Amino acid sequence: MSTHTAYTAVAARKSLNRPAMQSHTPNGKMAASNESQTTTKTKKIDWPMGVRLYVQRSFVPENNIPGIEKTDMEKKLKEVITQAAEHDTLNSIDWDTLPLPQQMIQSERAKLASSSAAPHWSQSFSALFVKDSEKEKTSKKRKSAETTTLPVAQESLPPWRKTNARNNAFEDRISHPKVPSVDRGDKRQRKFEEDFSRNDPSKSDINLEKRRRRFEGVRLGAEYTRASSREDSATSEGEAGPVVGRCQQLEKKYFRLTAAPNPDSVRPLDVLERTLEMLKRKWRKENNYSYICDQFKSLRQDLTVQHIKNEFTVKVYEIHARIALEKGDIGEYNQCQTQLRGLYAQNLGGNPVEFKAYRILYFIHTCNRTDMNEVLADLTATEKQQPAIKHALDVRSALALGNYHRFFQLYLNTPNMGAYLMDMFIVRERLLALANICKAYRPDVKLRFITEELGFESDGETVQFFVEHDAQHLLEEREDGVRLLTGKAGALFEVAKSVAFKRVDIKGQI
Amino acid sequence: MQRVFETFKQAQRIGSGPLLSSTLSPVAPPEDPNRLYDIYTSSNETRIISDARSAIIYQQTGYKLSKAEGNAWVDIYAAYWKAVGQVIATETDARAGTWSAVYDAWKELANLLIKGYQSADFEAWTLPCLYVTGKYLRTFAIKADDQARRRGTVTFSSGFQDDIVSDYGKNDKLEDAARVINRIFTLCISDRAPLEESRKWGLYYVINLLFKTYFKLNSVPLSKNILRALQANRTDMPVLESFPASHIVTFKYYVGVISFLEEDYVQAEEALTYALALCHKDARKNRELLLTYLIPCRLLTTQSLPSAKLLAAYPHLEQLFKPICQCIKKGDLAGYDKALIAGEEEFVKRRIYLTLERGRDIALRNLLRKVFIAGGFETPKDGGAPIRRTRVPVAEFAAAIRIGSEIGQTIDTDEVECMLANMIYKGLMKGYIARERGIVVLSKGGTAFPGTGV
Repeated sequence: MSTHTAYTAVAARKSLNRPAMQSHTPNGKMAASNESQTTTKTKKIDWPMGVRLYVQRSFVPENNIPGIEKTDMEKKLKEVITQAAEHDTLNSIDWDTLPLPQQMIQSERAKLASSSAAPHWSQSFSALFVKDSEKEKTSKKRKSAETTTLPVAQESLPPWRKTNARNNAFEDRISHPKVPSVDRGDKRQRKFEEDFSRNDPSKSDINLEKRRRRFEGVRLGAEYTRASSREDSATSEGEAGPVVGRCQQLEKKYFRLTAAPNPDSVRPLDVLERTLEMLKRKWRKENNYSYICDQFKSLRQDLTVQHIKNEFTVKVYEIHARIALEKGDIGEYNQCQTQLRGLYAQNLGGNPVEFKAYRILYFIHTCNRTDMNEVLADLTATEKQQPAIKHALDVRSALALGNYHRFFQLYLNTPNMGAYLMDMFIVRERLLALANICKAYRPDVKLRFITEELGFESDGETVQFFVEHDAQHLLEEREDGVRLLTGKAGALFEVAKSVAFKRVDIKGQI
Repeated sequence: MQRVFETFKQAQRIGSGPLLSSTLSPVAPPEDPNRLYDIYTSSNETRIISDARSAIIYQQTGYKLSKAEGNAWVDIYAAYWKAVGQVIATETDARAGTWSAVYDAWKELANLLIKGYQSADFEAWTLPCLYVTGKYLRTFAIKADDQARRRGTVTFSSGFQDDIVSDYGKNDKLEDAARVINRIFTLCISDRAPLEESRKWGLYYVINLLFKTYFKLNSVPLSKNILRALQANRTDMPVLESFPASHIVTFKYYVGVISFLEEDYVQAEEALTYALALCHKDARKNRELLLTYLIPCRLLTTQSLPSAKLLAAYPHLEQLFKPICQCIKKGDLAGYDKALIAGEEEFVKRRIYLTLERGRDIALRNLLRKVFIAGGFETPKDGGAPIRRTRVPVAEFAAAIRIGSEIGQTIDTDEVECMLANMIYKGLMKGYIARERGIVVLSKGGTAFPGTGV
């Protein structure tokens, strides 16, 4: 080690600050310094102190960034120094504040993810010459330098250089008198918007909004890089602006985001609209839930990263919620329902009545009194009169009063897709009703009575239900038909009911 | 600010917590409406620290603070002075300040105070300072959230989430306040000092503040954690009776309401009754609140209705409960339904709707009982005492149930049977339905309607 005289002298001084350096130095480091020294020799350049320190810093273990290979870093380092030497900027560069090669790689990768047309480090490199004052602050502190020098570099870029140079950039500049507002409630306005998006998407307020956001995005773009540079920066990630997608493919597999989305794999609104139509067709034709669910999740993700929040968004969530409901995917259904609740609150259209009714039915299922009370408090008098909501409220009150007779009648006349939700608690309510009947009726009742009262489709189905609950011994065949010996049931249904009520499975609770 | 420091010194000399806490109030007392303004103008950003330092540390007369303690108080008063500035700005000119800024400034004060207990050994007699800070922290948080909602800031979900809406109906500041108050709670409950100088004496006040916040946030279940922590520490707690009655009444009220919401009416009744007995007789509003939950509770646990005399003493409660109680008493189902709908909004707001709804069973029971009584007696077979007719046709009950039902609203015999079955199932009526014969066979010997004498 001590053979590298030029090097050791520096290292010795530096090691006062970072004693760990020498001991932690792996062979790779020596190789790299050898490399840089060979360059030194071939070009006969006397490396300024700044450069040497810079190289040294690059190899300090504390400055390692997980996920960036040493070899990559070395390559970058070499590139940086060679370029500086070629451009004769070795002495003009402020090596103290120049991002370390690993940081450059990191920002490059992050930028690649956020925009493929992003400038390479060389741009941020050149940007360093522009902004000097801000660098001072961050010069010595490793930790903060890692996170702050990059935004500085990016901010110095004018927006038009950062945005993707797509053709629509121009059409987006067409100003539009309509100011997007969050609570455009009335139908006429929505209709208006619909017309617009159909006739000339470029002029719709959605696009205006998009454009506005894009420029916000540019300003905030720096945050993306910063955010992705730290794994635990969940909060700062939030400051990231929307992405503008430019993916033209209709289908896309869902991946959970772990870094800023890449615009190349994000589909813009018009593509998403076509995607939805295609998914609807496929669902009707193929009925393949795992495919559909995956596609809808990526669709939702694309909407989110682009901050698209309009009637189309509502539509996507509604359709996904309905499909999930049909397939009994309660977790996914709940996610959609939560989103819809927030979206409806902003009056973006859709079918709030239908989904509010589902909500009520769901809270019946989960026996959630606190939330039920809240729902009741939120309903307006008009909403209470809407058939779907009225139905759900009637279901609730029938159950609250133990009126199974009315409950099962309501079950047979459920609007929309509410029956899928009611199916989730129909068994336990049947058990409760049977516990009730067995206690109240003596000595027996006709099976037909049970079939009718408990909303079974046929006597056969009723018998099946008894068999499933080990209660077939209570049925007796007589000349005038099958009878249920209520007097002999004992606590059978009471026990089964208690078990059924305990087992309320709550997934992704709203 | 000088007067604040004078009061501080006085409080330190005599060891008066309430007096000390009065120096940290962000509200001007009625007799001194300009207090806040005077405080704020009496110092400035650069001077406040040295002002506080010279008053609190250098001029200690009659009391002695440790170095850490003195410095902690200096920081606290500097933070207080800043918070007062924010309050004035926000109250006088909505553009100059926001409640959110007030909240942040006040939170700084709260944090410094907490730190004072953690690292500068503030004594337990100063606890009222925590009360005042916690109380206004909550107030400011609510104001800040209201203001944010009114401004309607549209937010997008943060992070790399897949979905659009992340903070529906947000209460950012209040949730934050709940966390700070929770820290105060931990500060109190984890104090290992001997009881006489323990911060545990502050527990119930802080818990009440937390409960209040959780209720406002609609996260009542969080209260259970607090109760569990309290339960786990119950062995080294002073006895309940030795705490200030006001703390205990409020605490029991919340415990009662929490049990009530969980449908544990027996425990709810116990807690509410305890609180009502301890509650000051002139604290009408508090008594009214307690009764709001105790009355529906009793309706379900003991099927008892409030007396006219009790209701008469509380006009608001009378208005709330009287119509429904009268209908229950008379067995007037139609009237009951109407009364429930009429009061629905208020009932839902007070979270008693779902409980009161079940009072319909009692109304129905009373109605059926009337039918039973109207059935009269059967001629005794062997000259004994006459006994009531216990075989009642379902049709008779059906007729009674249909009274007052609106035209078009049909109640068929099956539904009537269902209602009767429920009565039997819930033990409000004893007997059985013989469906084939269309009669109800009720229990003999005065037990057909348990607890009602027939």
